[in-house]
Amino acid sequence: MKPRTQAAIDGVLGLDRLVHEPARLAILTVLNQAEFAEFGFLEMACRLSKGNLSSHLSKLEAGGLITIEKRFAGKRPQTRAAITPAGRQAIAIYREHLKALINEVPGAAKEEVK
Amino acid sequence: MHTTAVELDQLAQRTARYARYSLSAGGLSSVLGGILLFVAFTLNAFADLGPPLRSVLAATPAIWLIAKEVLRRRYYQRAGAVLQTPSTKERRQHFWMVVYLAAVALVVLGFMVAAIVRDQALPDGPIIGYILVVVAMPVAAWRWFWSVSDFLVGVLLFCQSAVVIAGSNYPATWLWYIAACAGVAVFYGWREHRDYLALRAELADGTVGR
Repeated sequence: MKPRTQAAIDGVLGLDRLVHEPARLAILTVLNQAEFAEFGFLEMACRLSKGNLSSHLSKLEAGGLITIEKRFAGKRPQTRAAITPAGRQAIAIYREHLKALINEVPGAAKEEVK
Repeated sequence: MHTTAVELDQLAQRTARYARYSLSAGGLSSVLGGILLFVAFTLNAFADLGPPLRSVLAATPAIWLIAKEVLRRRYYQRAGAVLQTPSTKERRQHFWMVVYLAAVALVVLGFMVAAIVRDQALPDGPIIGYILVVVAMPVAAWRWFWSVSDFLVGVLLFCQSAVVIAGSNYPATWLWYIAACAGVAVFYGWREHRDYLALRAELADGTVGR
């Protein structure tokens, strides 16, 4: 196996799987832009169903990447999620890995990757 | 689902734009503030200020802040609250605005205390009202004034409220300056509101970022 190919495979395997899943990546991207976001906005912005969103939030919370606060505004339940410093670091590292990985692929580096 | 780097950047950018309406973007509340400011100072200059009108003018900062909160909660953040993370520049600007107003409030308080000590008598009701409004101004600034237009509108509304409570009024010479400040607030507020409408359309667009 060519060293370049081996490096690309190692790069893929080295990605944080908790962050790499598309729905969780979208959730972390949203939370990285704010102090906190309510469940309703996450549902709309990430285009996830309530159940799906809830499940991904639980996994991110268990991984220490976000915190979840549940409270009542009158009789209405409110769920707020906020990214932790570890979550901000995880998403920054993930993006660096992804950039480096794409640069490893011949031809892909020419495409715009932000 | 958002899968590409470009889509994730769009998502991040839209979230940041939406979050601005929790703090630094007033939208229609800036427009309302600008109009309220101009009307209040015009009444100060030309109307006969009886007790009912004086009460209404004294209440204008409260009316504006309540309208601001209602618009934020019920309109701009109705899809769910997202609290903005202010940039370092915004934090610094906000900090110095509050420090400036707190310093002004302290100077006014100092004069009042000096007058009380000199006269050996407590101030009357209107002066106590004036002091309360001046003291409330930096607190309101700390909580609500996150943009230049909010600062202009808020401070001027509080000032005219304090002056009206104390039994005086702003003369017509202020109107040019007030019109300029109101114009700034209305212009930026309307622009923010139009940006919000565009953002809502982008967020509602099922084809983008799926």
